[in-house]
Amino acid sequence: MLEPVNRLWPCVAAVMVTIAIAAIFLVAPTEQTMGDAQRIVYIHVSVAWMGLAMFVVMAVTGGMYLFRRDLAWDHWSQAALEIGWLCCGLTLVTGSLWAHAAWNIWWTWDPRLTTAFVLWAMYSAALVLRSGVEDPHRRARLGAIVAIVGALDVPLVIMATRWFRGIHPKSPHMEPSMRVALLISVFCFSAFFTTLLLLRRSQLRIADMLEDIECDSCSLS
Amino acid sequence: MTASHVAIEVRRLSKRFGRRLVLDQIDLQVAAGESVVLTGPNGAGKTTLLCAMAVLVRPTSGEVLWFGEKAAGRHADRRLIGMVAHENRLYPHLTLRENLIFAARMCDVDRPQDRAELLLETVGMLAHGDRTPPVLSKGMRQRLSLARALIHDPPILLLDEPFEGLDLDAANWLTTLLQELRQRGRTLCFVLHDEARTRLLADRVLHLHQGRLMQVAVGPAAVAHWSPADQGSTVVHAA
Amino acid sequence: MVKKLYWMIAKDLLSECRSLRVWPAMLLLGVVVAMMFAMQADLPPERLRQIVGGLLWLTIFFAGTLALDRSFAAEREDGCWKGLLCYPISPTCVYLAKLAVNVVALAALECVLIPLFALLTDVPLLAHPGPIIAVAVLGDLGLAAVGTLLSAVANTGRQSSYLLPLLVLPAVVPLVLGAAEATRLAVEYDFGPAWWRWVQLLAGFAVVFITAGIVLFEFAVEE
Repeated sequence: MLEPVNRLWPCVAAVMVTIAIAAIFLVAPTEQTMGDAQRIVYIHVSVAWMGLAMFVVMAVTGGMYLFRRDLAWDHWSQAALEIGWLCCGLTLVTGSLWAHAAWNIWWTWDPRLTTAFVLWAMYSAALVLRSGVEDPHRRARLGAIVAIVGALDVPLVIMATRWFRGIHPKSPHMEPSMRVALLISVFCFSAFFTTLLLLRRSQLRIADMLEDIECDSCSLS
Repeated sequence: MTASHVAIEVRRLSKRFGRRLVLDQIDLQVAAGESVVLTGPNGAGKTTLLCAMAVLVRPTSGEVLWFGEKAAGRHADRRLIGMVAHENRLYPHLTLRENLIFAARMCDVDRPQDRAELLLETVGMLAHGDRTPPVLSKGMRQRLSLARALIHDPPILLLDEPFEGLDLDAANWLTTLLQELRQRGRTLCFVLHDEARTRLLADRVLHLHQGRLMQVAVGPAAVAHWSPADQGSTVVHAA
Repeated sequence: MVKKLYWMIAKDLLSECRSLRVWPAMLLLGVVVAMMFAMQADLPPERLRQIVGGLLWLTIFFAGTLALDRSFAAEREDGCWKGLLCYPISPTCVYLAKLAVNVVALAALECVLIPLFALLTDVPLLAHPGPIIAVAVLGDLGLAAVGTLLSAVANTGRQSSYLLPLLVLPAVVPLVLGAAEATRLAVEYDFGPAWWRWVQLLAGFAVVFITAGIVLFEFAVEE
């Protein structure tokens, strides 16, 4: 059934994004060398972390589907896939903007950007796979396998890209106020994307229920 | 019936493909040595039911047992089943002999070459042993499919429209062979559309309609008087 | 299980030798891609040594995907796949058999491509064959492990022809990086810690994905 709490989540999300933007512009000081362009990093780190987290959610819920064969788990997996794809895409865009501001190049094969690209490619492949399978259980099963393969691959990608290149600042020096702004930004954007995840999962569940009702009425007629 | 007398038992089996419910809470017991014919219109789910009985498709709910033991996941017990399907399932680049020897090896048959020769002779294909499936007629490929299903002498045979595409001679030969297998105590489960052969080969006739299984005729007298217009009114339940 | 594995591998290799459906196309594609890469990489020798490993492994990947894709596509013709599932063999056995055949296909490809790259680029790939063979074997195991599993996934849908490279390429990034770097270091006769680190990555990749394939294959081929 439609949970009443669904109406609360968009408000929560809006508040969180507002707090994050306020922290980025009001709490974080202007960086000396890059100026205001440096503020992209607060969004970049937030969406990068969510892109990785959603992959884990997708793989774990996919595994649970294989174990329990309950489509409810696949709704979580598919929602995480879509949100994760969005977050990885934003990581690449914000990373590119930041790289241009910092080093005057639009792209660099540093480990984190490379990992983000590989994650985005895996997300995209999973989306293409799902779009071609109509049977919901088959779609869930194949999606789960791809998610688990991807999740096993991520640590290897991180290792390989770190050994291969490394100009991404490992721990850039940040003033305390910058760290506070970063933490607030990560927390708020995580809450925002988690809200999107919950809403999307709810949409998928309702769509599934509607299709079941349609099918039952077809078979009755 | 005791577990050992029930060759195949299907318990509350349902199967969905996507949103479409193909099999709906099927309950069925096929006794060891019994010959059961499944009838029903095209698209009724007869092939799906046979594949479910062979555990080639995973049921949405319910289970299948072979001789009282759960069949799912027990790959070694596939030796109990031989199946003749719509497709001939023969490797096109292997000769008939090689196809049978491969099947025998996969089924842990002793002396696979000798067994393959015997089956080629049984199905009347010894002269064609070195030919490959694509050059053969439909009837010849069907004979070899049967040989492949019998290679490990399984106690249960599942046959999906085995007479489809056969000429009169081949069909008569197959009818004789199936009657022999019946006399030797094999459990047979067919999908058939042929009225005369159903009466000849069946101990029991079941009708699949809208996913439910109906019992149409049981016993020689009832089967002898069975007609395709009979759709049955008794939903089959496990004993 | 070992005997059945052997006979399944023999059956696939015999079928391929008689039909010659996949391997010739795979070898030809490999040669054409290698020539195109070599044409574009008209660089001084010291620069070529740095990139030849990457070019070689990308060529192996693109051409090898053809063989990986056909692992199951050929089996599904005439219902042979369902016939195989009817036998008393575990899905693990089927997976390992397909994996072994794919490794043989990739090895055959490398027997052509490695000498070809050595010829076209004048990089001494064959000067120290032992390390190159070790990298090739580990790379083949890893690529075949992932590719066999994902080929089973891709071949259930309608889009199998373009889906497999899309699924496999991102997954094998660590493998291609590792094999390329290990090849580069082998060509420079540098077998220090860096080389061993890459070799360990390749071995780890192969172990992880062979294990994943054994566990997940049954789910991939379910109906």
